[in-house]
Amino acid sequence: MTLRELYTAIGGDYEGVLGRMMNRESMVEKFVLKFLQDASYDKLMESMEAENYEEAFRAAHTIKGVGQNLGFTRLYQSAGALSEALRGGCRPQDQALLERVEEDYRQTAGAIRAFQEASGT
Amino acid sequence: MNRSILADMLEGTYEIIEAEDGLKAVAALQQHETDIDLVLLDIVMPDMDGFQVLEVMNARHWIDNIPVIMISAETATSHVERAYSLGCTDFISRPFDALVVHRRVVNTILLYAKQKKLVAMVTDQIYEKERQSGLMIDILSHIVEFRNGESAQHVINVRTLSDLFLSRLVEKTDRYHLTRADISRITTAASLHDVGKIAIASEILNKPGRLTPEEFAIMKTHSAVGSQMMDDLPRFYQDDPLVKVARDICRWHHERYDGRGYPDGLVGDEIPISAQVVALADVYDALTSARVYKPAFSHEKAAEMILGGECGVFNPLLLECLRDIASSLPERLRDVGSARVSPTSISNLETEMHRYEELSASERTLRLLEHERMKYSFFAAMSQEIQFEFTLDPPMVTLNAWGAHKLGLHETILSPMQDAQVLKCLVAEDQEALAAALHATTPAQPVVKRDCRINLQGDHRWYQVVARATWSSTDPPQYTGAIGKAIDVHDSRLKLVELERRASHDPLTGLLNHASARERIQSLLEEYPHKKFALAILDLDRFKSANDTYGHIFGDQVLRYLAGKLRECIRGEDIAARVGGDEFIIFLNYEGDLEPIIRRIFNSLSGGFYEQFPISVSMGVARTELVGTDYQSLLQSADQALYSVKRTDKGHYRFFDRAMKAMFSVISPIDSSGVSAAASEEKGGSNL
Repeated sequence: MTLRELYTAIGGDYEGVLGRMMNRESMVEKFVLKFLQDASYDKLMESMEAENYEEAFRAAHTIKGVGQNLGFTRLYQSAGALSEALRGGCRPQDQALLERVEEDYRQTAGAIRAFQEASGT
Repeated sequence: MNRSILADMLEGTYEIIEAEDGLKAVAALQQHETDIDLVLLDIVMPDMDGFQVLEVMNARHWIDNIPVIMISAETATSHVERAYSLGCTDFISRPFDALVVHRRVVNTILLYAKQKKLVAMVTDQIYEKERQSGLMIDILSHIVEFRNGESAQHVINVRTLSDLFLSRLVEKTDRYHLTRADISRITTAASLHDVGKIAIASEILNKPGRLTPEEFAIMKTHSAVGSQMMDDLPRFYQDDPLVKVARDICRWHHERYDGRGYPDGLVGDEIPISAQVVALADVYDALTSARVYKPAFSHEKAAEMILGGECGVFNPLLLECLRDIASSLPERLRDVGSARVSPTSISNLETEMHRYEELSASERTLRLLEHERMKYSFFAAMSQEIQFEFTLDPPMVTLNAWGAHKLGLHETILSPMQDAQVLKCLVAEDQEALAAALHATTPAQPVVKRDCRINLQGDHRWYQVVARATWSSTDPPQYTGAIGKAIDVHDSRLKLVELERRASHDPLTGLLNHASARERIQSLLEEYPHKKFALAILDLDRFKSANDTYGHIFGDQVLRYLAGKLRECIRGEDIAARVGGDEFIIFLNYEGDLEPIIRRIFNSLSGGFYEQFPISVSMGVARTELVGTDYQSLLQSADQALYSVKRTDKGHYRFFDRAMKAMFSVISPIDSSGVSAAASEEKGGSNL
């Protein structure tokens, strides 16, 4: 699996991210792999569980930023929608927003793991 | 994650300090202020968000020298606007592009570097310009003085004196609405006061003897001529404030307050204050300098002559100024010879520069600051003290690294008074007392000291806190916070407590000694004048024989044994003390009947043996109910009762009663020295 295939699989914007990283594929790859270690998603889940919506807002906001920077368009959008709903520490009205982030994250992370195994790193 | 992408993009070209939240960012700024060329700032962060960081940067004036680029996924216009209004230089929205980030960072840093360079250049230029124009005026006025044959020092002195009089004048009154710039202008123009003399024939100017009335009339024209010269300047200069002031001074520096001067005979404040001041300065310097027609007078003599009205009438306010500063004038005039720029023009330059905020910190100042900071952090690390800085606005505490580590706190804490961790370090009483003491300080006496118990992560220790309140330089001064340190005084304080304990206790028995018992009893008597108290005094019967028969060491053991019994049979709040050789006192509070209490105590002390020595005590008791609350009377009465027991039936106790009281007051006026003398006679030397 190539990086480009990975992006296609998760509905990401490969061209965009490559352009922003000065066409350095290695840099893109480095940060894509690093995405798996980012704790924001776990933090989001924990704080939603604990009903700490301010903390959840920050976590969602970070996921949105990371998604945007790495061109994970779908995840960026769903995390963005969730963070807007959480803004100001509000309890989100729509349960589906969190579920979409969960789904997009699982799919993205899953694809990256597959890519990682395929490239043997 | 976002941060590390950013760091990766900039790595290699720049040294990067990462901070994971706003608070850490502020701490990093605090620590590295002058080393930081640029801040990349996010908005959404835990603890302290990007806007709050900007606010702190504003409050501390960091924003004046450190550019900030906001990077955020927040793109709402309101956010962007707020960031700009708080002084951020640029705004980059996500997703960030490596090239864009690079370019903007480079641009901003270059821009600021250029600005700093320009600031340095402008500063130098202003200074140089000021110096040059001063020099030109000096040369011009020296030409005049040279022709006059007056000393070259005259112009400099008149300028300095004018400066000193004016500075004093504005301290006394704002009647003339003089700004620092006005003063600077007047002192500069003062150099030109005699410029009109250039038109006077040198035979008259330098005539050694007295001038004839005709010659004097010609001489007097120099003031009008001087002002004419200013009026004749090209139109272009006419409106210049300096020229206007110079004109006034040239024309009217020989006017007098009562209207008897020349050329126009102006009266009082019709004469511009500039000319009034220069007139006074001119006269003063003329008196203290040697001239072809007169010797130099001393400064004291000169001041005396002017104040005495011998040189014409001056503005009473100016005379007051002269009187105020007369004693310091000789020295100040001597100093000026070396410093070419007048004090006012220097402070004026400073004010001028402060008007441009970005000029406030020159490169040199920053280097000095950096040096001081390095010194400070070195000593702070060496000192093993908790050092702190507290600011009210923003409410923030900064600790030195050592102190933060000791206390288990962060080095920078925002809103410390709402921070549970911080509040835990100091008990509420100490917090309040410190805050109150700091608020009660004045700028003249800003230092407070207090011993506080500080909680070092569970370990409570005594610290001495020494703090200095910081006051703003505004008028009136505002309390802005405090700096200070806390020094561990735990061990020395414990030692003190131990010494106090030793000083107040009898070393043999461990009971209180007489002095400290008296102190405690007296304070109880004063505090509770309506409670019922009793004082019992007791001694061991036949103690002297115990000493004589079995030796002093045995005697000591008997005393310790009795003290032990005594301690057992009294209650916690009662006081027991050894007051002399084998004499003890007990002081207690009671309600209801005293007799059973005393009987119980007496019975538990008396009877039985210590080894082979039979323990028998005699006891006299006095009650406040009968005797009153004076300690000395209580003691004497109890002693009186004991005395009567001893005389008749040893081994019993007796209350001081009315009969004894009557007898006591009639036939036995034992004074206090008598009591203690009687007591000390019975003491065996080693039992003390």
